[in-house]
Amino acid sequence: MNQQQKEQYLREYSVLKAQGKPFFPYAVAKDSIMACIVMAVIIAMSLVLGAELGSKANPTTTTYVPRPEWYFFFLFEVLRVIKPPSLVPLATIGVPTIGMILLFLLPFYDRKPERRPERRPIATITGIAVIAAMAYLTYQGANAGSPTAIETPTPTAVVQAGGATRGEFEAGKQVVAQSGCLACHKIGENGNAGPGPNLSHIASRLPRQGIARTLVNPTAPMPSFKNLPPKKFQSIVNFLSQLK
Amino acid sequence: MPRLPKLPAPPLPPPLREPPPRPGQANGKGGPIEEAMEAGITVVDWIDERTSLSGAGRWLLFRKVPKGTNWFYTLGSATMFAFLSQAVTGVFLAMYYRPDASGGAYESIRYVTNEVFLGQFVRGMHKWGSSVMVILVFLHMGRTFFFGAYKYPRELNWVIGVVLLILTMVMSFTGYLLPFDQRAYWATVVGVNINGTGPLLGPYLSDFLRGGSEFGATTLSRFYAIHMLLLPGAIAALIGAHLYLVAKLGTTAPPWQKPVPRSEELHEAEV
Amino acid sequence: MADKHLKHRSKYTLDRQIPGAFEGETITRRRFMTGTAHTAGAIAATAFTLPALGFAIGPIFKSTPHHWEAVGATGMFSDTNYVPVVLTVSPNIGEAGKTTVYVRKFNPEIDTDPYDKGTPYIAISSRCAHLGCPVRWVDAAERFICPCHGGVYDLLGRRVGGPPVRPLDRFYTRVSGENVEVGPRFSVNSELRRFSPRDPGEPVDGIGQYLYPSRPGAQKL
Repeated sequence: MNQQQKEQYLREYSVLKAQGKPFFPYAVAKDSIMACIVMAVIIAMSLVLGAELGSKANPTTTTYVPRPEWYFFFLFEVLRVIKPPSLVPLATIGVPTIGMILLFLLPFYDRKPERRPERRPIATITGIAVIAAMAYLTYQGANAGSPTAIETPTPTAVVQAGGATRGEFEAGKQVVAQSGCLACHKIGENGNAGPGPNLSHIASRLPRQGIARTLVNPTAPMPSFKNLPPKKFQSIVNFLSQLK
Repeated sequence: MPRLPKLPAPPLPPPLREPPPRPGQANGKGGPIEEAMEAGITVVDWIDERTSLSGAGRWLLFRKVPKGTNWFYTLGSATMFAFLSQAVTGVFLAMYYRPDASGGAYESIRYVTNEVFLGQFVRGMHKWGSSVMVILVFLHMGRTFFFGAYKYPRELNWVIGVVLLILTMVMSFTGYLLPFDQRAYWATVVGVNINGTGPLLGPYLSDFLRGGSEFGATTLSRFYAIHMLLLPGAIAALIGAHLYLVAKLGTTAPPWQKPVPRSEELHEAEV
Repeated sequence: MADKHLKHRSKYTLDRQIPGAFEGETITRRRFMTGTAHTAGAIAATAFTLPALGFAIGPIFKSTPHHWEAVGATGMFSDTNYVPVVLTVSPNIGEAGKTTVYVRKFNPEIDTDPYDKGTPYIAISSRCAHLGCPVRWVDAAERFICPCHGGVYDLLGRRVGGPPVRPLDRFYTRVSGENVEVGPRFSVNSELRRFSPRDPGEPVDGIGQYLYPSRPGAQKL
């Protein structure tokens, strides 16, 4: 904004202000009603949702799955998405710091006099994109499951077969979940995408024998599962060969 | 001798006249309500005579807001209201809380939640109030961003607002260690280690936050002091500065609002 | 322009015709008072800021004495699988100061790295080297798995997947009589070379060990 644009803004603003209403009571009335709504929401949330207290802090746990408060889910998800170790400082410090600096300096690099969002396409689209990205990351972060639980729905073919087949499938799901497969493979929405391939539809790529062979004789860095008790091993093969 | 008719007494000169009754004092003695009002007026007058606050009050309250001001403009004051609610509920929670990592902290929160009259309610208000405040801060910032309200002459107020946003996030982060349950503990471990990943200074920063190289006896009291002394003070001071600038510069009009009657005149001036 | 102005001015107040100036005086009384006001104010502010700051950052420089803790009899541990044991790392705060350590007997077939020679037991920390979440040992997959951001480690604690920046930390071990004792923690780089303990998220490979210096309080054994 140059001096002339600044003066023009101040002039237009003083006209608008002169045509406006006094802050008290007109704006204060709206503010007070809004304050009532805010308090009503807080009280309702407190009454309905209560204040649950988790179990006592236990630093020796090896089974707890730490998750942040919902408004930090987007940062949490950034940490999950940025995988290479060399980029860790970027995910933890870099991205948030750059974001904050850009936010701080906004009035200093966006100096055009235009204020209408539809005439500031870059600012408006960037703003909407940032909000969408944060919403998406928050959603993903909220749905990040435990590495030892599979929530994939049972395929309809297995449900229809019912009885023993279904029982075996559910048992296999348990064993796979507890055997750490999700550390490197994705099954449905659970697990890490890499270093291993996605197993959601493994049966359509590998026959039953192929799955069993891979489990016994894998390519590094996958460990061999040949030392598992035969029953558990069969459960894993059963489960994976149903994932079509 | 016939008595002369008595002449009416000449009027008293003004300084000797009794002052006319002031409003509320109309018929000498009023009822108790009038007396109470009178007492109130006296007290306010006494204070105003010594502080001249009425000028500031008039300046703050009877300034004009521009034409077109709508409900979007209540988000800022709603955020401040959420902060006040957090401050008050927080003070009452502090009356029961013990920042003791060896069990006292968790026990005191359990006591507040399960035993104290209205304890769960007040703790719930504080807990959910933080979520509401975070949402309102973001909405307020979104409004400012999309309406272009951070532009000249309000750049400094935007910067203060961003600091307030960050302080609010830090506030909620330091707050959720305090119940000392599993989520609190692990979120803090991760949060402190995130600070540690900054090159060179990071390790010292995380040591400072923990008060040592491991999570120890003073970590909880550090977070407690930051959460209830350092940050609320900073936030309150910055809200004061934010409000002062709002009152001084005036709230923006919606960007679509144009000054109607004098618009032609302005266009001429532009050319 | 200011420089030009100064050139013409003498540094003596007497030459500048200032009323009440003394012979040889170079500073006006107004400037002297302004300087005094600023200096005194700064000293007063520093007088409470510095002690408070020192008080707050003091613990960084405090070194903690090494301490060894018996975690179990030598017969408890095998050389192919890990046994979780609980260790106190931060005294005086009860449960909150403990941590889980996975202990395994030294196995010359697996622990081939020269740095491990002479270690009677391998003790691996349960704190993820990414950001400190509690990793679990999954026997079937022979992997340490982190529940937070997807870190995976192999039998020796080396990273196989996910974002961790270095292998899992380890602890010094020794045998005292019938018992296995676990001592202070140390960090290792990807070749299992030992470094003084770092926090999670701080790489020790290459330039990392200088970018993330060890703290004055933390010493190698």
